[in-house]
Amino acid sequence: MQVKITTTRFGTISVKKDKIIYMPSGMLGFPERKHFVLFGHKENSPFFWYQSVDDPSLAFVVTSPFLFVPDYNVEADEAAKSMSWNDADENDLELYVVANIPKGEPDKITANLIGPILINIRKRQAVQMVIPSSPYSHKFPLAGRN
Amino acid sequence: MLVITRKPGERIMIGDDIVVTVIEVKGSLVKLGVDAPKSISIHRQEISDRIRKQNLEASGIDVSDLNMAVAILNKTQ
Repeated sequence: MQVKITTTRFGTISVKKDKIIYMPSGMLGFPERKHFVLFGHKENSPFFWYQSVDDPSLAFVVTSPFLFVPDYNVEADEAAKSMSWNDADENDLELYVVANIPKGEPDKITANLIGPILINIRKRQAVQMVIPSSPYSHKFPLAGRN
Repeated sequence: MLVITRKPGERIMIGDDIVVTVIEVKGSLVKLGVDAPKSISIHRQEISDRIRKQNLEASGIDVSDLNMAVAILNKTQ
């Protein structure tokens, strides 16, 4: 079943209802925005748009951290437990990090490695994790680091 | 906000499952111990504040900003 979503960047888009991801706590800073869809940016791009279903103007640029930090490693057990995903195996889980591009400075694109979004693709649920102490940065530069 | 005064060694219960223990006070530094279920995230407030701030800054990216960033990333491969 398809649903129509209004977005400011892409106009009205049609998505499969079962592609909608539910985040019980929303995103940090946006706790009321609990429904998102994930879709690719374009060919030859490592990025995805994480578009809010509830707010047409809210969308995050996300990417897989492993493309830029091959040995990226975070402990997901606590986050999975907090979501009551008791039977999730690693094939059900995907990890994305939020990218930030300072206005007018695309070469200064960074990724937040301490607040990854953990998605359970089988349950269509997600949570933004807080990584308490790690060697990772909330502003990890992506340019020149493929 | 509930304000409670504790001596080192004393504890605060939050709900049924969270215990905060004042371990040591040294000058202006307070060492706290927190016992909580694994499903509850415990972290310094600065960490979640940092993530929140990044989310807010990152929430307004235009398609054109992203297109330019991708062009730069593909060039520097």
